[in-house]
Amino acid sequence: MINAYMPRLGRLADIQPLGTGIKLFKVRLENGGDTQEFTYRPGQFAFVSAFGVGEAPFGITSVCGIDSTVDFAVNKVGTVTRALHEMNVGDIVGVRGPMGNWFPMDDIKGKNVIFLGGGIGGAPLRPVITSILHNRDHYGNMTILWAARNPNLLVFTNEYDLWRQSPRTELHLTVDEGDAGWTGNVGLITALLQKVKPSPDSAAVILCGPPIMIHFAIIELQKMGFTSEQIITTLEAKMKCGIGKCGRCNIGEKYVCLHGPVFSHVEIKEFLESFL
Amino acid sequence: MNLITHTQLKGWLTRMMTDKTIIVPTRAIEGLALYQPVNSPDAIAFDFTQTAVSPKGFFLPASEALLTIEHVRQTAAESDGPEWNAKLCEPELERDQVLFAIRPCDAHALLALDALLLQEPVDAYYARRRERSTLIGLACEQMGPTCFCTSVGFAPDDSRGMDVMLYPVEGGYALEVLTEKGRGLMDGIALESYRGGRPQKTWSMPEFSVPPRAVWAQLFNDPHWNRLADRCLSCRICAYVCPTCRCFDVRDNTVAQGQGYQKIERLRCWDSCMAEGYRRIASGHNPRPTKSQRLRNRFYCKFDYYPTDFGSLACVGCGRCIDQCPVNVDITEVLQSVAAMGALGANTTRL
Repeated sequence: MINAYMPRLGRLADIQPLGTGIKLFKVRLENGGDTQEFTYRPGQFAFVSAFGVGEAPFGITSVCGIDSTVDFAVNKVGTVTRALHEMNVGDIVGVRGPMGNWFPMDDIKGKNVIFLGGGIGGAPLRPVITSILHNRDHYGNMTILWAARNPNLLVFTNEYDLWRQSPRTELHLTVDEGDAGWTGNVGLITALLQKVKPSPDSAAVILCGPPIMIHFAIIELQKMGFTSEQIITTLEAKMKCGIGKCGRCNIGEKYVCLHGPVFSHVEIKEFLESFL
Repeated sequence: MNLITHTQLKGWLTRMMTDKTIIVPTRAIEGLALYQPVNSPDAIAFDFTQTAVSPKGFFLPASEALLTIEHVRQTAAESDGPEWNAKLCEPELERDQVLFAIRPCDAHALLALDALLLQEPVDAYYARRRERSTLIGLACEQMGPTCFCTSVGFAPDDSRGMDVMLYPVEGGYALEVLTEKGRGLMDGIALESYRGGRPQKTWSMPEFSVPPRAVWAQLFNDPHWNRLADRCLSCRICAYVCPTCRCFDVRDNTVAQGQGYQKIERLRCWDSCMAEGYRRIASGHNPRPTKSQRLRNRFYCKFDYYPTDFGSLACVGCGRCIDQCPVNVDITEVLQSVAAMGALGANTTRL
């Protein structure tokens, strides 16, 4: 019997700063737990253990088959994330997963893809963007709207040039509050959306960010003519197991870990309970 | 069916105790009826309608170590690579267990838990305990003052989920073997056959019905939940005594520490959706910040979400939450109020 609570062991192969209080952890998996191949798709998540402190779920930011490590962007906000931030390259972590569903990469083929990423919410969108960059011909225009509270919280800045250089790809940045060096947009992602005005024609929107951002971005998208079928988001929730047992991540009868974390707005508008 | 006398029953249980853990109703702790492992059939308390706590803890313990993690810091001489090494161990299995005098509601609760915990990916710990457990049921002679199993689709003499079922009769118990596992317990015991048939009983408690899904959906934002939650203390006793509540927390606990060495247990403990921080994430966002939303979740989980997701109500009518709630939140009143409000239409509550 496979024990779904048994993590694999992994070593931190690299740690890179992504922003204030945000680090990218690149994990090289070892044969701990079981030896099944760790294959995953854009949008899936995994639990990372800081042994002795606990484990918590994180979206996977790497792409299976492209990146040689399994990567997690971690914002230092709680006990597990604090412990991870204190670790060094070579340290051991546990990895349990992959879990949850994924973005419908095949369904959005041929479409113009619009991304709305807010803060650390950009993390699970990065593998979608990277996958499209590697299969650029299969997708239409790519419009990336990337937001953060301040310039130091914009994630994956070192990949912006790569994104911009890709054909038919635009990147728009905004921050809630600029600083001395900031010359770009200032304002919420909804304001940026109004400014960029992406067309709903033959488009799919992929969102991730704090719940309040998702809520208002969806309202704005609907005003712009996007249908529920075109809006795909990932949701976050407190979780303890990731396999539908612990009961913690339910939104009504939906479990974020089992039925999500990727939901289309068609599903979300039927939710009895709010994700807000 | 066979007849087993009181004397034969004691002998049967005593023999099982040589290689199995036998769990029975006792009154060893302050006179409370509780299931406990015993070494002698004399400890069995037959004078109970319902135990104070359900036997779910023998399958999903209040606290258990999921993993033992040994974290060893290697010296540079032993390894020129990374300097930490971690070894993960699953805890050892316990002995086979027999639960004796299990009430029908508690067996139904295990069936409800099976629907979730044995669904892929299975909960290996629960699955192992289920596999290594045999249930000997004891039909109730009467319903207790807070029992309502007949209203949620069961009966006090229902044998579903049992391996062996006992019905109290003149001179002992009518014994019915229901599964192969149950038959395994009968090896080497010779019993007279019992020709009286299954004892027919009528039950005195009033019956009501569980409102359908559409009614729950209609009342989700009804102010009734605020009024009901006003008196809730978020003490969580309802979840802990409930035979179907299974929500849990997982935490790491360091049990030993030395130079370059750390031993950690990853503990799983019962938890409850009544807790304020239950759904709060590290950023501070809490999608269920009010008591009203949390208490509502309890009832919707039992009668709407769980049936939708796992095909079974998450309530078996045992009445323990009614017995134990310090502020008299009564799940049967909730069901009847929801039905009544549903009949009136949305937001018409005057309760």
